Amino acid sequence: MIARPDPPPIAIGRVVATELKPSTPHQFHFWTANETTIGIGAIVKVAEGERVVFGVVTDGFAYSDLATPLHDVIGAEGDPARAAAAPTVRQEIRYWTAAVLRQIPEEPLQPVPLGQVFVANDTDVAQALRMDAYLHSAAPTAIPIGLYSSGGLEAPVYLDADFLLGPEAAHLNISGVSGLATKTSAVEFLLASVFRHFPPHKGKVAAVCFNVKGPDLCFLDQPGDLSDEDRRRYELLDVPAKPFERVLYYAPLKADGVNLNTLRTHPDLVDNVTPLTWGLQEVVDFAEVLLNRDDIDAKADAFIDFLRDRVLGRSFDDGFGNAHNVTTFTDLERLFRGIFDGLETSGRSDSWRTHHIATMRKVRNRLLNISTRCKGLVTDDGPPSDLPWGAFEDRAVYVIDVANVDPLGQDLVFARSVSKLREYLERRDLGVDAVVVFVDELNKYAPGDGPETYVKKMLLDISERGRYLGLVLFSAEQFRSQVHRRVVGNAGTQVFGRMDMDELATPGYQVLSPATKIKLATLPVGELMVRHPHFTQPIFVRFPKPPVLRGRDGMERFPAAIDLPFDDAVARQLLQLDRRIRPNQVKDLIADRTEEDVRRALAAVRQKRPEDVLAFFRKALGGRVAPDAPRERRAVPPLNPISDEPY
Amino acid sequence: MTWWDALVRAGAVPAAYVPPASLGRTDADDGAEPGADLVEGETVQVHPVTPDESSPQPACFLDGIEQWKVVGYDGVLPIVRAYVAAAVRRRGNDRRLRTAFEGARDFAIAPLAAMAPERRRALTEHCPDVVDLSLEEATQPGRMLELARRAVDSARQAMERDLAERCLARLGEAEWLVVDGLLSVSGKLAGHPRAVGVIKSHGAQFFSGLDLTRALTVPAAHRTSVFRARGGHARNEVYSWYLRLWPWEGNDLLYGLLRIEARAAAATVAAASATSGWLLAERAPLATPDVRWDRLLYPMHDVETYLRTRAPRDLLSSRTSRLPRTGT
Repeated sequence: MIARPDPPPIAIGRVVATELKPSTPHQFHFWTANETTIGIGAIVKVAEGERVVFGVVTDGFAYSDLATPLHDVIGAEGDPARAAAAPTVRQEIRYWTAAVLRQIPEEPLQPVPLGQVFVANDTDVAQALRMDAYLHSAAPTAIPIGLYSSGGLEAPVYLDADFLLGPEAAHLNISGVSGLATKTSAVEFLLASVFRHFPPHKGKVAAVCFNVKGPDLCFLDQPGDLSDEDRRRYELLDVPAKPFERVLYYAPLKADGVNLNTLRTHPDLVDNVTPLTWGLQEVVDFAEVLLNRDDIDAKADAFIDFLRDRVLGRSFDDGFGNAHNVTTFTDLERLFRGIFDGLETSGRSDSWRTHHIATMRKVRNRLLNISTRCKGLVTDDGPPSDLPWGAFEDRAVYVIDVANVDPLGQDLVFARSVSKLREYLERRDLGVDAVVVFVDELNKYAPGDGPETYVKKMLLDISERGRYLGLVLFSAEQFRSQVHRRVVGNAGTQVFGRMDMDELATPGYQVLSPATKIKLATLPVGELMVRHPHFTQPIFVRFPKPPVLRGRDGMERFPAAIDLPFDDAVARQLLQLDRRIRPNQVKDLIADRTEEDVRRALAAVRQKRPEDVLAFFRKALGGRVAPDAPRERRAVPPLNPISDEPY
Repeated sequence: MTWWDALVRAGAVPAAYVPPASLGRTDADDGAEPGADLVEGETVQVHPVTPDESSPQPACFLDGIEQWKVVGYDGVLPIVRAYVAAAVRRRGNDRRLRTAFEGARDFAIAPLAAMAPERRRALTEHCPDVVDLSLEEATQPGRMLELARRAVDSARQAMERDLAERCLARLGEAEWLVVDGLLSVSGKLAGHPRAVGVIKSHGAQFFSGLDLTRALTVPAAHRTSVFRARGGHARNEVYSWYLRLWPWEGNDLLYGLLRIEARAAAATVAAASATSGWLLAERAPLATPDVRWDRLLYPMHDVETYLRTRAPRDLLSSRTSRLPRTGT
């Protein structure tokens, strides 16, 4: 916590209680001068004798001594202009309702005394929000989330890392209308804060961010424009006002297999974008993600399990004299062709190793279709390019850009990435002790209604079990009421930006006063309402603009490169690995070579990252072989009518 | 221990009687033989008044309150606890009223000479402020209450006069002092060029015959001719006129009727319409929920409200039934 002398207390009001509106242990009312600095969300302190009560203003009222509106009409003789010109202004009151945040002493719990009301200072805010327990402990776990400000006072508000990142509670959910850049900005700032203040005794931390729309997270390593006011706030919060130092980008390739499917393709930035490409081995464990419920019946499931356990990655005899070692989709296709041809030529029955040929055909079509539907992400062109599982770096951000990937591919990326994170964290060999996973658009990925998708299951799994593993979900959405209850319900920390009034009318917001709802509906950019397990009431905080380049600004400064022709794209990728390479050398090498061969060689280079890139690439390409004349294929009629399906 | 508790310990019979006249001040001009000499025209005339919303800013408003009740009896002698308070609230350029001067007095009224020695001693030892009522022998308790009322009235008027004179001493060049009640009770007030008295009760009638009819039926937003007031409480010479704030037709003859007092000078006659104009504008805001809102200017209502909120809570709080309790 930043040590600053507290200003002397300023009495700004007095608690009043009537029989109709008494003080209770959880609520009190007070009045202030008409011109006062406090408003909805202000934290106040009532001091009376030994008892100190902290409260947050939840509602406000103003009224005059006017007995009935009709008297105003009579006094002005029906002319509103004259009412304003009355020589005397009526007596008015500013009357506030406050919810109790904390009482000291806490026992016995008593009604709030009818004492003077003071504006809370830094120390008071820490006490009121029970932050003193984790700010001043032997092993502090405080992580700043913003500045509480009221009446010229600014006090940092801290979250407890044990309740934000586990193990006591975990996860953060942020709601707010779209278009204000509040949700993304808040998460970016909070990540910077987590990286700066993550307690040393808790180990290492990293973040995996899924960029699901536009260029939102594409420039986390580039500095944004910060005002002096923002810098002052960074200083107050003790968070460095600079972009993330270690950001690694991953994006699938486009269908051509060489151009990156991301908006971060500007030549100055593309260096640290790694293609994200997976092969059969990576995908088959997540086949359920790609196959819908109609596809996966018990028989298909059993056959996929058979392939996974008995076939993939090992030598396998299909029973017709053909040996297979299936590692790619091409190998898989060869296996299926061998089986079907074998069955047909041998005139055997329509089942193979207890699996019906119809089931096999169905699975074959669905699996082989994956590489078509997710072209660029799922490839058959050599070794995969993946996140550095087991070698995650401390305070690094891994951005997986799936903004331009079709929904099926996004599901696959989510499911596999989260599963791998969980798997490695369970084994404690990810490289870090905690990982923050940021997922936007929960309304799309974890809706409250709709089908049970694999992604929703994954998000539920993180929400419910992640805190024990150090797998923490930072999620965002527009409409909290329409997100799966268990996903938002398990978020220990809940943050709200500007909200839609329709959303605020839903039952989930009934605990908020009308004034708090109005404040939420009109919240300016950069201000949030925070609920945290230590705070007994929601608190409004301001956070500085994130220290990184915003997506839209980034696109103006670093516009995406136009897709290059195949040979130029290959040359550019190799050039990124070795600046000594001349594009013409690459073009000469790949002239007359099939694109599949080139992609495979390129993938091998990416995986190996050799000293002499060009030489390795040449070797991976292999010698030129004259293409065989295509063999004539005889069409073979099916043995039996097997299905009504149109394949 | 309060002085009335001490009195009861000394043998007085406790009481809690709030006489009807104690709830507020009376402005009845109940002096003898009031009369008027017209100083504007030969007969009472009616002059239209245009509301002037450019009321003097700043302006000061003086009002007072009084409360009293019988707290005990020494035999049949009532012992009274009284409270009087007065305040000047100043209206600044922001049109809001703030207290400039104020005073309050919490005291006892008792016929000390007629009281039993132990009760007298208890009262004088425990109450620092006792007003002694001098009684003739065999004075009835009812008459004593009337004397007590006069003592309370007198204390309030003295306090108002004191505050008024202190206020006048600091009044700005363009500042006015508006007094709730008679201006003529103080020589300094009566002679000040920017002091006006606003009288809401009309116990004293200064006219008769056709002049009386014209005075008391003056239409809304009209004033009467200016006259010199004689008799009543007038101890100092002042000019006066009637001003109607609201139409009386359908209500009462005195509805919305004020009598204004100002310095006895030719300038007062010349400025009567202008003064009436800004007083007429003081109709708004209405002084509701006070039942006298038709005659009570809002700033005066404000001063009274201010004073009542600061009055002792235990003086008039017993508004419950005085029937004996049943014990269950």
